[in-house]
Amino acid sequence: MKQKKIDKTPARLDFTQSVTGLILAIFISAHILFESSILISNEAMYKVTIMFEGYYFFGETYPGIITFFAAAISVIFVVHAAIAVRKFPNNYKQHKVMREHVLRMKHEDTSLWIIQITTGFIMFFIGSVHLYIMMAEPSNIGPFASSFRVVHEHMGPLYFLLLLSVVSHAFIGLYRLAMKWGFMEGKNTKVSRARFKFLMKTMIVIYIIVGSLSLAQYTYIGLTHDFSEVKKYKSKIIDLRAH
Amino acid sequence: MSKEKTPRILKIGILRFDPHDPEDVPHMETFEIEESDGMTLYIVLNEIREHHDNSLKFDFVCRAGICGSCSMLVNGRPTLACRTLTSKLDENITLAPLPLFELIGDLSIYTGKWMRNLNEHLETWIHDKENELEVDKLEEKMEPELADEIYELDRCVECGCCVAGCGTIQMRPEFVGAVGLNKIARYHLDPRDKRTNAEYYELIGDEDGVFGCMTLLGCEDVCPKDLPLQSKIAYLRRMMIKTSMKNN
Amino acid sequence: MKVIYTDVLIIGGGLAGLRVATGVKERGHDAVVLTLVPPKRSHSSAAQGGMQASLANSHMGEGDNEDVHFSDTIKGSDWGADQEVARMFTHCAPKAIRELAHWGVPWSRVQRGDRKAIINAESVTITEKDEAHGLITARDFGGTKKWRTCYTSDGTGHSMLYAMDNKAHEDKIDIHERLEAISLIHEKGRCYGAVARNLMNGELVAYVSKATTIATGGYGRIYSVSTNAIICQGMGQALALESGVATLGNMEAIQFHPTAIVPVGILTTEGCRGDGGLLLDKDGYRFMPDYEPDKKELASRDVVSRRMTEHMRKGKGVKSKYGDHLWLDITILGREHIEKNLREVKEICENFLGIDPAVDWIPVRPTQHYSMGGIRTKYTGESQTLKGLYSCGEAACWDMHGFNRLGGNSVSETVVAGMLVAEYISDFLDSSDSNLEIHTSKIESFVKKEQDKLDALLSKENGEDAYILRRRMEEIMMDKVGIFRNETDLKEAVDELQELLKRSKNIEVFRSKSRAANPALVNAYRTQRMIKVALTCALGAYLRKESRGAHSREDFPKRDDENWLKRTITSWPDENQTMPSVSYEEINISTMEMPPGFRGYGKDLTKHHPMTKVRQDSVDAVVEKLKAEGKDRFEIQDALMPFMDKLPKKYRGINARLGENI
Ligand SMILES: Cc1cc2nc3c(=O)[nH]c(=O)nc-3n(C[C@H](O)[C@H](O)[C@H](O)COP(=O)(O)OP(=O)(O)OC[C@H]3O[C@@H](n4cnc5c(N)ncnc54)[C@H](O)[C@@H]3O)c2cc1C
Ligand code: HEM
Ligand code: HEM
Ligand code: SF4
Ligand code: F3S
Ligand code: FES
Repeated sequence: MKQKKIDKTPARLDFTQSVTGLILAIFISAHILFESSILISNEAMYKVTIMFEGYYFFGETYPGIITFFAAAISVIFVVHAAIAVRKFPNNYKQHKVMREHVLRMKHEDTSLWIIQITTGFIMFFIGSVHLYIMMAEPSNIGPFASSFRVVHEHMGPLYFLLLLSVVSHAFIGLYRLAMKWGFMEGKNTKVSRARFKFLMKTMIVIYIIVGSLSLAQYTYIGLTHDFSEVKKYKSKIIDLRAH
Repeated sequence: MSKEKTPRILKIGILRFDPHDPEDVPHMETFEIEESDGMTLYIVLNEIREHHDNSLKFDFVCRAGICGSCSMLVNGRPTLACRTLTSKLDENITLAPLPLFELIGDLSIYTGKWMRNLNEHLETWIHDKENELEVDKLEEKMEPELADEIYELDRCVECGCCVAGCGTIQMRPEFVGAVGLNKIARYHLDPRDKRTNAEYYELIGDEDGVFGCMTLLGCEDVCPKDLPLQSKIAYLRRMMIKTSMKNN
Repeated sequence: MKVIYTDVLIIGGGLAGLRVATGVKERGHDAVVLTLVPPKRSHSSAAQGGMQASLANSHMGEGDNEDVHFSDTIKGSDWGADQEVARMFTHCAPKAIRELAHWGVPWSRVQRGDRKAIINAESVTITEKDEAHGLITARDFGGTKKWRTCYTSDGTGHSMLYAMDNKAHEDKIDIHERLEAISLIHEKGRCYGAVARNLMNGELVAYVSKATTIATGGYGRIYSVSTNAIICQGMGQALALESGVATLGNMEAIQFHPTAIVPVGILTTEGCRGDGGLLLDKDGYRFMPDYEPDKKELASRDVVSRRMTEHMRKGKGVKSKYGDHLWLDITILGREHIEKNLREVKEICENFLGIDPAVDWIPVRPTQHYSMGGIRTKYTGESQTLKGLYSCGEAACWDMHGFNRLGGNSVSETVVAGMLVAEYISDFLDSSDSNLEIHTSKIESFVKKEQDKLDALLSKENGEDAYILRRRMEEIMMDKVGIFRNETDLKEAVDELQELLKRSKNIEVFRSKSRAANPALVNAYRTQRMIKVALTCALGAYLRKESRGAHSREDFPKRDDENWLKRTITSWPDENQTMPSVSYEEINISTMEMPPGFRGYGKDLTKHHPMTKVRQDSVDAVVEKLKAEGKDRFEIQDALMPFMDKLPKKYRGINARLGENI
């Protein structure tokens, strides 16, 4: 029997694309929930922030951790994007053929893919900017600092767009992952697929609502808070030198 | 018997083009046909040919949804025309040939050539050089469930609907499509085919094969034989990843 | 002029054609297959029910062997079959099925232990042997003593054809799709290939070959309602007929299948009844036991079809705007069984009737289904009159079916005949007889003749509409050459068809004048040929003054061995004839292994031949003597009617079965 050497690159790329997508999706689902702590109270969001800065481990905050974290996510983000762009239509002809196909077929899953491509494209820009900011000024996170950025640095509209994009991209992506690898498919694949699809749609709606509310809250704080003295939140319970 | 209603007048728009006529360009032509009980697109098209335009080209063979000849786009979706009842459609119906395949004329396409190339490329036959066939001996045994499972995948009629329904292959015609992947899944399952995983990887372990599939699932949703394409492509993908990890 | 040379030209890419192709290829000869449609779309794919081969693996098949299969086949044929051919066939069927299993047909398998089945409307438990587990299983089909019909779920033909075509890919056989053979090239009683028309661009191509095989399937579409695919138009038979040299056999032997759905005529497999489905009338009453207390729904096809027609004539049919019909009830089999083993039936019911067969009854009635007649051949598959021309499958009258073929014997015939004929052709090719001795100018003249005919059709003005003639022909066949036949109807049919034939010389191709892909042109020339085929059928039926198998004359209800134990042979020696020439080929009783007897349906009305008794006595004597000497069944059979020496050497081996020869 012949034992030729096989080219493993395609397998690795495909696998990496899925793994990075999965990590990013898990990250984002958590991210937006943490972000929404602002809906509970300023104090809650503050606690979440300093948690990530390592306060509960070291008794002190190190914004560098955020930088490191942001850098790591950025790498995954870039790797994922770099692998996934292979799937973009790579010339005008392909683009046109796909467009015609989608309009003709009116097929849900194909249309979902178009959403993924489009949102991926959008995130390529906005996501990069956001990540860059997070790496550059990791200490400027908190109920007031973030609100300031949202309102006075005009990030609000961008965030909203980013929110819509990332949520749909991530959950469509997760649904697609399940289909692609046959995750938990059960005996009747038609039924399990319908379930996954329903779950996907529900999650998208929930996350967009939660994210929008958080954004509204940041905007509200941004508009009502007086930033003339300090941009930083002062906790009444936890006293930190750095802040 | 319920009271007779006045039958609908169906407006059948057909995308027509004769590639052998240098003056012809693709254009829509609409025919009006009175609907009758239990009417299928097979009946509609034959009526058009017999009474309106005898040059209309289309392909039917079994007219029973068995042979896979009559696939076409019905209102944009690929399906078998012979078993499409008009009563399930709106009165405005558009018909067009499947894209991607070579056009013979009007609704008639050359799926045979495409499928033959695919089969030759994927070598869709039992590879068994070790066992010499002995026609007088008892046949090799096979688990009944396994035989059923193989048949389940063997039911593909090579109609090409999954090809026309797949955005990926529209963009990248080198992709083998669900029909090709399903065939590999079928032989992979078959113990009589002695090809190794590495050999299968050679055939479909790249962007033109299983890794090219972007899980658009058009194939799964249009396949007239309801083959479990999504599940089988996923299975192959797992197999191929495993193979790439094991094989050094 | 485009000319393609090859060793073997095979016209038809169904099961029969493909099996010949792989067979001659294996023997080292080149083959080109011509087909109207991609081979996998051939009508063979529609066979749902199964393939007969006496494997005897399943419990209900125990005790089965070639002898039982042979006797079922001969009885089924109403003694019209060629018994040597039937012997060759039953001997090779197990080999063919095992070969197909090797090439990838999954075949449904025996599951050890208990299983529920419906037999005669009652649920029974069948216990399968341990040692049979995993071997090919079988189901019950009409007219058989044992459960012998092997199947793959209900896609038997599909899975066989796909395996065959894939095998052809593997063997790198040239397959030329959408090429229609339109005339045979022949000279001095020797066939040298065919002229074919490319259906995509209209080009005419001469295929020149040492041997030519016609495997184009049946001619069911000369009837207005048929279970056949719409390409089953008898073009192969027409090719042979128009050569003027080759002959057709028993063209009047047309089978009607009891259960095609109303109105479209799509078949629901015999497996429905085999698995336990029932026939009911308008009152929901199961009527078959009244007519056939023994075999009931599972009597032979021709019998069930006639009984159904009789019952409907008594006013027991369900009225519908498409005429009367009866019900097929498979609800008793249960949803699980239907969804697994009769899925194709379920799909057909859903898509074409909008009903669910697990809860609703299916409207059915007998419909044209199979053509026993065809190109008359010797046991080698070679035409009796045109050397170098072969034929097999449904296209041929090899004659193992006689006047009625058993369900499941037809796909079986395609592969068995295919594998045998491939050997005989190869032997012929290996001999010096096979040299090509035809001049190019002769080939050219054949192509030119076809070109002129097409030109004439395209330039004709003020002529006849092919569709009108064709529809009329279909109606005549349906109404007057149907299940029950009589003198008056048949006379009218023959006369009117002859009239249509004359008119068909004047066909005009309206509007569409393209020389390339042009359905109107195709319809024009095929209609001309179909009418000729229809005439051979109608005339044969008109002349045959007896009832035998599927040929049932109301005015001559008896089988008449004294006068009619013979095959109808038709030919068309002169192009200008408006009627085929008819002659007869005697079937010799004195060499029969199984002299004519009673088929076992209704009362025995047979007018027996005096020779029958003589032969029966001598058969009985031989059997008794050899049995006493302790000879085995093979030796006894050989003494009665030797056939082994006719078989290719590689297929002479004795078949292994559980408990026999292993
Ligand atoms: C609905 C249905 C169900 C059946 N079920 C069963 C069953 O369960 N069991 C059973 O034993 N039998 C069954 N039969 C019968 C059986 O399927 C056929 O008799 C058998 O398959 C015929 O095979 P074939 O190879 O002779 O011809 P086909 O499969 O009909 O092939 C004919 C080939 O000839 C080609 N051709 C025709 N004319 C030309 C031409 N002029 N030039 C070039 N090519 C040409 C066609 O393209 C095609 O490839 C069934 C038949 C029907 C109608
Ligand atoms: C620049 C940013 C991004 C781009 C360009 C991008 C692009 C893509 C594309 C084109 C696909 C589809 C791949 C295919 O069909 O095979 C995809 C899949 C996916 N993406 Fe992204 N993406 C980006 C960011 C993200 C982010 C931030 C997340 C997580 C929140 C994410 C999660 C996923 C997931 C889970 C999948 C499915 C993976 C798979 O099919 O293998 N992506 N991405
Ligand atoms: C480790 C890296 C990241 C950190 C530390 C981080 C941090 C934050 C913070 C603090 C906010 C609040 C607004 C602000 O302060 O500007 C925010 C909002 C947001 N981030 Fe990130 N982010 C990271 C990565 C990402 C990525 C990769 C994406 C998607 C591509 C993303 C999408 C968003 C969105 C959509 C919002 C708006 C949230 C809302 O509507 O509630 N973030 N992020
Ligand atoms: S997989 Fe389904 S859609 Fe695709 S060719 Fe086969 S039957 Fe047609
Ligand atoms: S539609 Fe195409 S992309 Fe994959 S899942 Fe089906 S083959
Ligand atoms: S004609 Fe055979 S599937 Fe439609």
